[in-house]
Amino acid sequence: MTLSRRGFLNAAAVGATGTFAADMTRLDTLRHSAWADEVKTQGKRVILLWLAGGASQLETFDPKPGRPTGGPYRAIPTSATGVHISELLPKMAARIQQTTAIVRSLNTKNADHGGGAVIMETGRIKDPGIEYPDLGAVCAKELGRLDSAVPDYVSMYTSTEGRRKGGSGFLGSRYAPMFLSESMQPENIRRLESISDLDHQDRLALRDLLAKKFTQNRHSDSLGSHTQAYQRVRGLMASEKLFDIEQEPAEMRAKYGPTQFGQQCLIARRLVEAGVPFVKVARAWWDSHGENFETHRELCADLDHSMSVLLDDLKDRGLLEHTLVLTFGEFGRTPGINSSLGRDHFAAAWSATLSGCGVRGGACYGKTDEDGHKVADGEVGAGDLFATILTALGIDPNKEYHVGARPVPLSDFGSKPIKDVLV
Amino acid sequence: MASDPTKLQKTKDIGIPSIAMCVARVPNSGRLIFGSSDFKLHEIDVFAEKPQPTTFGGEGHQSYVTGVVLTAPNIAVSASYDGQLIWWDIEKREPTRKVKAHELWIRRLVISPDGKTISSVADDMQCKLWNAETGEMLRQFSDHKPITPHDFPSMLHAVTFSADGKFIATGDKVGHVAIWETTSGSKVATVEAPGLYTWDPKQRRHSIGGIRALAFSPDNKLIAVGGIGQIGNIDHLDAPARIEIFDWQKGERKHELNNDKFKALVEDLVFDPSGQWLLSSGGAGDGFVTFTNVETGKTIHQDKLPMHVHQLALNESSDTLFAVGHHKIVVCEFKADPPPADPAEAAKS
Repeated sequence: MTLSRRGFLNAAAVGATGTFAADMTRLDTLRHSAWADEVKTQGKRVILLWLAGGASQLETFDPKPGRPTGGPYRAIPTSATGVHISELLPKMAARIQQTTAIVRSLNTKNADHGGGAVIMETGRIKDPGIEYPDLGAVCAKELGRLDSAVPDYVSMYTSTEGRRKGGSGFLGSRYAPMFLSESMQPENIRRLESISDLDHQDRLALRDLLAKKFTQNRHSDSLGSHTQAYQRVRGLMASEKLFDIEQEPAEMRAKYGPTQFGQQCLIARRLVEAGVPFVKVARAWWDSHGENFETHRELCADLDHSMSVLLDDLKDRGLLEHTLVLTFGEFGRTPGINSSLGRDHFAAAWSATLSGCGVRGGACYGKTDEDGHKVADGEVGAGDLFATILTALGIDPNKEYHVGARPVPLSDFGSKPIKDVLV
Repeated sequence: MASDPTKLQKTKDIGIPSIAMCVARVPNSGRLIFGSSDFKLHEIDVFAEKPQPTTFGGEGHQSYVTGVVLTAPNIAVSASYDGQLIWWDIEKREPTRKVKAHELWIRRLVISPDGKTISSVADDMQCKLWNAETGEMLRQFSDHKPITPHDFPSMLHAVTFSADGKFIATGDKVGHVAIWETTSGSKVATVEAPGLYTWDPKQRRHSIGGIRALAFSPDNKLIAVGGIGQIGNIDHLDAPARIEIFDWQKGERKHELNNDKFKALVEDLVFDPSGQWLLSSGGAGDGFVTFTNVETGKTIHQDKLPMHVHQLALNESSDTLFAVGHHKIVVCEFKADPPPADPAEAAKS
């Protein structure tokens, strides 16, 4: 059954203009589980700040000051009582209680860039028999609107190292990301000057006619997905201005600052404000095998400023309670410090954050041991983190898609949401 | 005894539990005072039969100890990423004075040749001069921008006094060196070594490198600048150790030296008192030591060391080096052979 916001609102409107009995109809509407689910997810958005290459949990959200593994940076108190984070994140420290939950007990078991990225993109290990959609595609499907004029999933990854597009897997190309890699503006989105707007509409109509004839008596998910993608072309073309930060007042651009990551965070805010359900901003590259502390001094300054301004801006616009802002990458970094004063790949005990929508600000879940080598309390995997994300968005993580006859739950089999970080 | 870099041989290799970031040597001895990643100062006599570090006590630093100098026979001053300078009674191994010196991480501490002034540099991009005895700040100056041209925080890693103490030089992350008159605080020259700073605008979008070591030649005419060359993959210290030598008064670059054997970061530079050779050391995975002919720029001798070296000390005759670094302290000698005996004297004996 396909439901839409419009369908629900029509039903609700009938109730609103009717009698007491009609009001009861509204309540019945909410009892209908699928519609009730849609109410829960209405207007929900996600911004994933993907810390590509693997940020160090010890220099961000799980510092170990004074321990042999702790590195030189101090831990500073945050606005949440008893919660300390690295001194490299002073702006975020002031915002933890109001906005952000920290999960310090991720054990995702795979410390290889490619394998780790698959796990943290899809919330499960790779299965050769099935191509899973990534979090962005799932959110695009669950939070997007069929009649939306904006993209459902935008992914920005402008550095080249470790660049990954992400993918919609078995959900099909309808939920694949609009991928920005070479510039912050979508490429090939403008109508060619040699074609008039009328010509363009006529071409779409002709394509639609031919497609309908072709698909008669043919039942294929990929054909349907292809057609749906074309049906959204004109809306997507009209979304070009969303990527243009020159449309913002100079004061707002100045707040986000001059770095590319800051500017991409501003674009992300513009996109979610316009209704894009999922935006991924990749900040590469944190893979600090050498000079870990200098690398994190640079990159944490960028993260701290950009993330803080983004959260403030979302809050000021009344968007934060509907927008979930996430930080994680493919893994964390080793507690051990190598001879180049670097840290290497590490997936056994690392951190992620969730801010905003559905999240209990100031919550700090899980614990690593005193040197950060192992999870000491509250171990969770990628599936649990994904179940938490989906729950925060009002999406049932146990809901199933079907690939042929095979049921596939949205978050991995056996995963559970971390209730302590949810409101 | 004269030195001969070609005779370099390791004579001590001592394991330590922490990463030694800095060292000062008690004159005419094998006693080293080193600061380390455990936030503490330690003392070790490397010439003892079984060298064992002894740790200083009291309320010390709150982060890595990145600088230590001896200001009097029984007094050491240390600096740390915690922004503090601490004066220590060496015999008691207790702190005697603390000064909040910088707002951000102190990267290096040096002492003037007359022992009266110490200088600290930090990521607040300030160079500060301190009365070594009283702890009073004498002056501060900076010619270093806090933000790199690529909008990230810069760092001020390096500072050195000239051999006569008249000048002081500071070097930052993007390769800018400023040279100051010590007594007036006036800037007298600048040199640029941008080849020591790698900005990756596309693949990884951050930077690495910077000036990590500075040294004036004994006649003050030259300044050597050390770090690492242009790195392709900035995840690693994957470029040749690099030294540039300038005739700073003329504003000319005399040598631009990329090490042909070691991919590494130059952490320390020391001129031979005669000015004939320049000793550089540092590391990546392992460590290295290189002696360079100052006149020709040719390598006289170089060898691998068993750890990434963070700082060196030389003995009085400049024929023995004491290197501290990643979980090790190493002593190397490079003594010239004694001159051949006079045949007439030999016959008499």
